[in-house]
Amino acid sequence: MKSRNMVALPAAALLAMGLAACGNSGSSSSTSASTSGSTTPATTASGSITGAGSTFAAPVYMQWGSGSSGVTVNYQAVGSGAGITALETKTADFGASDPPLKPADEAAIAKNGSPAVQVPMFLGAITVSYNLPGVKTGLKLDGKTIADIYLGTVKTWNAPEIKALNPGVTLPSTAITTIHRSDSSGTTAGFTGFLAAVDPAFMTKVGSGKDVNWPGGTGAKGNAGVAGAVQQTVGSVGYVEQAYALQHNFTYASVKNKSGAFVAPSLASTTAAATGVTIPANLGFAITNPTGPGAYPITSQTFIVVNQDLCKAGESASTATGVVKFLEYGLGAGQSILSAADYAGLPAAILSKAKAAVASLQCNGSAISAS
Amino acid sequence: MEAASLPTGDRRSLLQRSPVARLPDRILKYGLTTLAALILILIVYFFIRLTGQAGPAFSKFGVFGFAFGNNWNVNIDHYGALPLVVGTLVTSILALIIGVPVAVATALYVTELCPRRIRTPVTILIELLAAVPSVVYGLWGLFFLAPKLQPAEKWVAAKLSFVPFFGGGSVTIPNDFITGLVLAIMILPIVSAISREVMATVPADQKEAALGLGATRWEMIRLAVIPYCRSGIVGGAMLGLGRAIGETIAVTILIGDEPVLGHHLFGQGYTLAAVVANEFGEATGLHRSALFAAGLVLFVLTLIVNGVARYFVTRAGRGTRVLPTGNAGGAAATAVAASGAGV
Repeated sequence: MKSRNMVALPAAALLAMGLAACGNSGSSSSTSASTSGSTTPATTASGSITGAGSTFAAPVYMQWGSGSSGVTVNYQAVGSGAGITALETKTADFGASDPPLKPADEAAIAKNGSPAVQVPMFLGAITVSYNLPGVKTGLKLDGKTIADIYLGTVKTWNAPEIKALNPGVTLPSTAITTIHRSDSSGTTAGFTGFLAAVDPAFMTKVGSGKDVNWPGGTGAKGNAGVAGAVQQTVGSVGYVEQAYALQHNFTYASVKNKSGAFVAPSLASTTAAATGVTIPANLGFAITNPTGPGAYPITSQTFIVVNQDLCKAGESASTATGVVKFLEYGLGAGQSILSAADYAGLPAAILSKAKAAVASLQCNGSAISAS
Repeated sequence: MEAASLPTGDRRSLLQRSPVARLPDRILKYGLTTLAALILILIVYFFIRLTGQAGPAFSKFGVFGFAFGNNWNVNIDHYGALPLVVGTLVTSILALIIGVPVAVATALYVTELCPRRIRTPVTILIELLAAVPSVVYGLWGLFFLAPKLQPAEKWVAAKLSFVPFFGGGSVTIPNDFITGLVLAIMILPIVSAISREVMATVPADQKEAALGLGATRWEMIRLAVIPYCRSGIVGGAMLGLGRAIGETIAVTILIGDEPVLGHHLFGQGYTLAAVVANEFGEATGLHRSALFAAGLVLFVLTLIVNGVARYFVTRAGRGTRVLPTGNAGGAAATAVAASGAGV
């Protein structure tokens, strides 16, 4: 009798574990947006709003929305594309996107009853991080050399191209291993956008976008994956978001900008990159290879997108007030905590335009006061 | 005859009772039929919706053009899934080659050689492998196993560089071999459990007859146990293959992202499940439709694998052996049918 129980128990445990394991592997896909296409706005209790979009901006919005702004924000970091879709289908109160809106997206959002407004919130940069023992941070590289490294024409660290840019530095003959993102990402889009702008060969062979076919190199999933791969592999180079690189004390290169200066990725040089960029009327600017002596060349921006008349688009008055309160906080007191999180704030000219855009937001024709 | 063993309630025959008494029977019949039909409807609906979403990609490239096209390039919006299908099959078959011998060996150990006292703890430990979440396997493989194995991989690639599949490319940290190895560990509990179940049904008199004729223990296993269990082991292996084909997150972390044919063992690859996991977040329009189509191809691939598994299991079960093999084949067939693809 005892031995029968002893067999039955592990058999039952086996069955349960087998079912659990099947369930685990079946549901372990990456998170995705809930684009259910419902027409009811995603309102919750007063003082709480929902947002969806950019994974790059997620840490900042989650920090802003955890109470210091007075508004609680449920933010889903599902990616810029999914965030805009969530705003179009009204499953989120605001969308967050790194690249500016395409005309097709603007039209789709306008169909909800009110045109789209993009509010630039802050800036970020992409560092070229490397793992080369003996070489300190600040190795000088220019866009063409980085493109050649990723294309595979520059194969070792002591290649003549790199030596020419760094006269006093002893470079080992280690082979270069390039690391890139295996998943779709705005960081890839920003990095390839820069390389395609400075190197026509890169443009034709690889192109730019969220997903490109890299000629060789190792793919890693997520920002943390690239960072981990760079740390593990001696002689590797990878593109890592600035906030991550600064927080974890990576060694990164100083990249040559359009004016010819080698600039290290710092918060100041990132803000400088946005100074002097032409801002279109709908504020949908994209920084690609900026001019300006102190500008870091691989810089990106992020927006929050809402309808201009939130209530006409289906939001309740309290939600509209919450969104405006959140935006005003972000462009006001929120900018000062950005540097603590290693993100760069907007330069003064763009900041004032963003504040004007927020002031123009309305609820059923009347301005919203978020006090 | 004790009163406690008889059923309580009305003991008249069914014909003597009122029609209302037959109502529970009817409810049972129709209720269970509805539930079973619901499951069928769900699967068909799922299939139809998938096909609907995948429609744009199929109409642009053709069904066979998509499934056997050799170019997956997001930037130019051209989607051909052949490198992904090949990559899926390569990693899964690698998992089988590494995993099934080890699983059968553990099953043999537990049933034949293990002291009775530690039999249950060993079994539980093997089953614990199934309880580890898939993402933990991926992270462990990437951050611990892969760097430790890289020197050995480089050595093998250098020594066997003349063999087309082994050498001839750079050794990356996420690669086909590591993926196959971790997948093998993941399918170990399933294959081992089914093999163990099947081996436990070998009639003792067969084993004793072999031993009585003077066979050594290994000869007894080779002559009496393994031929008897062959169909069950094949069924378990097919179940493991089904799981390996559909495995998503561990493979995504470990495979890299090179949708190119011409795999070599220590270089990156790509699978159907990994491409969906990697690219779904930012996919729009034709790209999203192509990902749905890739999911559909994966679905069909798993169905084919399961169909082949059932065929092998029932055919092997009905083999020319005189001895009653129904048990082994039947048990395995039921297991295959019950768990489906095991994903």
